[in-house]
Amino acid sequence: MSDDDLAMPTFRPPPMAAQLESELGSLAPVVMRRPMRQLAIVCTVSLVYVAILLAVLSIRRDAGELPAAWMIGGGIAWFLGFVIPCYLALVPAPGSMLSRRHYAIAASLIAAGFFVAMGWMIHPQGPSSLQYGAERFILGHGCLELGIATSLVPVILGAVFLRGALPVGSRWIAAALGAGSGSLGGLVLHFHCRITDPMHTGFIHAGVVTVAALLAAALVPRATDVR
Amino acid sequence: MADPKELMANYCDGDASAFRELYATVAPRLYGYLVKMSRSRALADDLLQQTFLKIHRARAAYVRGADPLPWIYAIAHRTFIDEVRKGKRAKVNVGDTDALPEIAADLSGAPADRKDEPRVDPELLAATLDALAELPDQQREAVVLTKLEGKSVAEAAAIAGTTAGAMKVRAHRGYEALRKLLGGRAKIKDAS
Repeated sequence: MSDDDLAMPTFRPPPMAAQLESELGSLAPVVMRRPMRQLAIVCTVSLVYVAILLAVLSIRRDAGELPAAWMIGGGIAWFLGFVIPCYLALVPAPGSMLSRRHYAIAASLIAAGFFVAMGWMIHPQGPSSLQYGAERFILGHGCLELGIATSLVPVILGAVFLRGALPVGSRWIAAALGAGSGSLGGLVLHFHCRITDPMHTGFIHAGVVTVAALLAAALVPRATDVR
Repeated sequence: MADPKELMANYCDGDASAFRELYATVAPRLYGYLVKMSRSRALADDLLQQTFLKIHRARAAYVRGADPLPWIYAIAHRTFIDEVRKGKRAKVNVGDTDALPEIAADLSGAPADRKDEPRVDPELLAATLDALAELPDQQREAVVLTKLEGKSVAEAAAIAGTTAGAMKVRAHRGYEALRKLLGGRAKIKDAS
């Protein structure tokens, strides 16, 4: 069988529906999507929000006792965990309208895994640091809530910007946006929370990434799907 | 033929004639895709209108300079999948009265306004559509997009929301299955 055997006639489409014709009658110009600009807005607004949160909540009391390299390096890692998945979710490849879904998913999975490992393996302590341990692990839920609350801003902004842009794969892109936003929550916790045991930093701080990704995957497509 | 990128940009800038031209350019192929996927002209008519209505409502998602066709096909794909999932049938609007509209037809029964469509061996067309209908949804979609619509594997994967590797496997398996299904018929044709 050759491709010619599959040759089919060109089907003649019906004329435009009356509803479409009537909507065209009142056609108004629209502002087209500008992905890089939208990413810049998401990053700027989110960072301003983080700065306000940290100003209100205060910087961790043990910040001056911990290695500066860890404080700064960890902050950069959380920031990159925010920016990279958001970039891949919001900015399509040049010449394309569809998001880079597979790269976005990969970046989110790497971020989720990396922060769990970082929390487990690198957790310096100072005299003012707190240790919760396994027996008080559940008390750390406040950090999870703060992280999720932080992630709301970039998720909502991203969802607004992605309306109509994701006819397929919206759940995956939403998960990437959620993972990126969860990393922003992790950034706030990195500078605010002085609980330093590995269970808390590995499961709760890093867990914000996974929980935010799951919540975004469940909720964001309701707003972004093409209807 | 006008560039779909330019048409889409002009349409977003408020030019209704650009949308009409975009419809004239894209609708024939999109309609063919939907007929092959749904195996029903009535349903494909409905899906095509739904697709263009969605394009119209989501036009602000267009990125200037980007190729809109994969996005348009992806909307058609999504519309078809949603319809399959809902298990809906296309609605037939018979107007205010219960009487069916009169449609002019030629002696073969084909609607008069569709007499100018290219003639193909109706037996071959029916056999091909029947064979396509026997393929699983994902394989049928892969064959239609890559073999009938002429999309590259990467484009087809983007439209269907899957990886290029998975699309390649689906297209290959679908093509092999179609070859087996049509093979018997081709042999009969060769013998005659």
